[in-house]
Amino acid sequence: MNAFLYLTWTSARNRIWFQLRRVRSPRYAAALIVGAIYIWSFLLRPTPRGPGSSIFLGQATEMLVTLLAVITLMGTWVFGSDTTALAFTQAELSLLFPGPLSRRQLIGYKLYRAQIAVLFNAVIWVFVLRRGGTALPSPLRAIGIWALFSTLNLHRLGAAILRSSWREHGGAAMRRTRWSVLVFIAIGASIAGGVFMHRAELFAAPSIGVFFDALGRTLATPPAIIGLYPFHLVVAPTFAHTLAEWSREIPLALLVLAAHAWWVLRTDAAFEDAAIEASAERAKRLDAMRARRSVAAVGAPRPATSSLRLAEHGHPAIAIIWKNTLCLRRTAQLRLFIGPLVMAIAVGAATSGAGADFPAFLSTTALVLAAMMLIFGGRLIRNDLRHDMLNLPLLKSLPIAPGDIVLAEVASAALPMSAVQMVLILIAYAAMLASAVQPFSPSIHVALLCVAPFAVIALNLALLTIQNATAVLFPAWIRLGPAVNTGVEALGQNVLATLANLISLGVALVVPLLISWGTVVWMHQQRPVAIALVIVLSAVVLVAETYGAMRLLGTALARAEPAQSG
Amino acid sequence: MITVQSLTKLYGDFTAVRSLSFEVAAGEVLGLVGANGAGKTTTLRCLAGIIQPTAGSITIDGHDMRSDAIGAKRALAFIPDEPHLFEYLSVEEHLRFIARLYGVSDVDARMPGLLQELELAEKRRSLPGELSRGMRQKLAIACGLLHDPSALILDEPLTGLDPGGMRRMRETIQTRASNGAAVILSSHLLNLVEELCDRLLVVRRGECVAFGSIDEIIAAHPHLAGKSLEDVFLALTSDQAAPGAPAAP
Repeated sequence: MNAFLYLTWTSARNRIWFQLRRVRSPRYAAALIVGAIYIWSFLLRPTPRGPGSSIFLGQATEMLVTLLAVITLMGTWVFGSDTTALAFTQAELSLLFPGPLSRRQLIGYKLYRAQIAVLFNAVIWVFVLRRGGTALPSPLRAIGIWALFSTLNLHRLGAAILRSSWREHGGAAMRRTRWSVLVFIAIGASIAGGVFMHRAELFAAPSIGVFFDALGRTLATPPAIIGLYPFHLVVAPTFAHTLAEWSREIPLALLVLAAHAWWVLRTDAAFEDAAIEASAERAKRLDAMRARRSVAAVGAPRPATSSLRLAEHGHPAIAIIWKNTLCLRRTAQLRLFIGPLVMAIAVGAATSGAGADFPAFLSTTALVLAAMMLIFGGRLIRNDLRHDMLNLPLLKSLPIAPGDIVLAEVASAALPMSAVQMVLILIAYAAMLASAVQPFSPSIHVALLCVAPFAVIALNLALLTIQNATAVLFPAWIRLGPAVNTGVEALGQNVLATLANLISLGVALVVPLLISWGTVVWMHQQRPVAIALVIVLSAVVLVAETYGAMRLLGTALARAEPAQSG
Repeated sequence: MITVQSLTKLYGDFTAVRSLSFEVAAGEVLGLVGANGAGKTTTLRCLAGIIQPTAGSITIDGHDMRSDAIGAKRALAFIPDEPHLFEYLSVEEHLRFIARLYGVSDVDARMPGLLQELELAEKRRSLPGELSRGMRQKLAIACGLLHDPSALILDEPLTGLDPGGMRRMRETIQTRASNGAAVILSSHLLNLVEELCDRLLVVRRGECVAFGSIDEIIAAHPHLAGKSLEDVFLALTSDQAAPGAPAAP
């Protein structure tokens, strides 16, 4: 067997075996059962294939996915990609780089390794898309998704190598980056041209669904499709409905994939420098991990050019929040929020298309962005135990109660997230005042604004406690570190994780909603007061639940041992 | 003072530490030695409150680690072989963070001297990722010493230090002990152990095989008389060694 194939296969096998051995612990066994039920009900359970489910594979979805692929790759070129695609582990760096191997072989190895994540997520999406009610066999769709993810992954790898090379060449780099910026400006112009030409149809759309259908048609016709065409070639087989359609589209997608493989294998000149740099960045931060498994690689923290003042006296938990705030300032990556922002603007535009004015568009966009921050923010901002579990020995040697550590860690992420969401809600409210469209009465608007802080803080605390709990209870099964892999190839597992968090939140909300609803019915309150009461009471009960969960998590943290993490 | 009674740590069926009992008085330096995998780091991690013992009790400066963990941790400093640092806090921010947690009220007065002593003054705004391995180790040491601990637990403290750093670290350990700190030092550098330690605790497969000063240990194992410390160490820690009776703690 080829040595790289052997290494990839045995590493994957040993890792899975190591993870499965955890099931001997009752906690992990229970988690495995819950996870299996979740996977079965979400992915494997037989479902009726009605016309409603074809939304997954409609033209609008296909074109929006194409657009998302463009935005993802634009982010890679214009804003710089993360170095996950390039980073080798320290063991790989020590053993493979000095070995008698060509650069091309090393890139080939990197491609082998990437295929594990690509294949895993391709399988997830096959199960999601099988509800589309089409005649295409699942294995063929899997090939289409594999081609799509592999191409995007190769593109990211190639972009990371080239950008790293350009960084080395100073002024020349700027000139070369200009070309990639120009390409994406041209694509953007073709999309903007399409939207402008079809503006009447878009603005006349009476509902969000009709708007997105119109947007799908706009992107599928010139001039937008001219800019999107190379991307559309790769996306198309995934959305094929028949064997004939798939057979027509897959050769072109494979051709694009082959062209990418050829391109990446030819960019080997800068590969070693770039890979060593990326690997060194990872190694610096992860030396405590002792390399039992890799974790997400992101850029090194930004230099400590400025700090925050920490008072000499006070509760130690404040010091943890102070530390994590500095962590957020130095490690947060704004580019991760481009996706949610674009989606929020799209929904805002859809609302405008349905006969609303600009303030209504602004208000909806701000509210949708706040909601997306609530749902996805916790996956993107991880300045809490999901990061600090890497430093478990240090954390546990500090003279602070484990329950207080959990509280401070969760608050470190929840408070800044709540602040941003509240600013967005205030923007939405102010814009709503200026809009001709008023979905509710002014008294309800005021009531919602007044109780929003309660709801926002309670929901953020609950969601982040759930995510921190997975880090404390199952450190061997989840990815620790400052960031998750946000690459397209990891989209499937990220969607599954986000849904699992929301389901857990839903379960946590049952009791608060029942209590608050019962109270309001009993008090016979008028509508604005009733709405405010339901939200405030639910928030208070949810915070109480969350606090109890944090204390229990503190007990689990006290028992957690460094050998279990990493 | 550090008091350990019947410390036992199990990982499933595996016994990492078996019924260790010893005391380290104020001003005393105890050397913890043993072959790789003998249970030294597990013992030190139990003492530092990082892992919970399966059985037994640990008291640091009068604070029981189980019932008053915060008091016990506040009295001690644990300096591990691998410096565990927050990669997003600068050198100075690390010290401010530790000062706040340990209630050090005069951090601004203490910090310059400590940074100077450990040659970190010029790196006070650097992040750990910008420091060499030795510098990171010095930062971990600075964090440990900032609050003047009454118990000092060191796991291979000289790893990564240059010769000057090693000499200063030896002096620091001696100074801290002479100022009244109880010190436990784990190291494979036998000359360091011989130079600094008043007594030795030799462990093999998690069990105490010898305890006392070097003279007491040799007296308890007469066949080792006249041998070098290295030979004594190898004889006590090798699997072929006959389990000799440890000197009374």
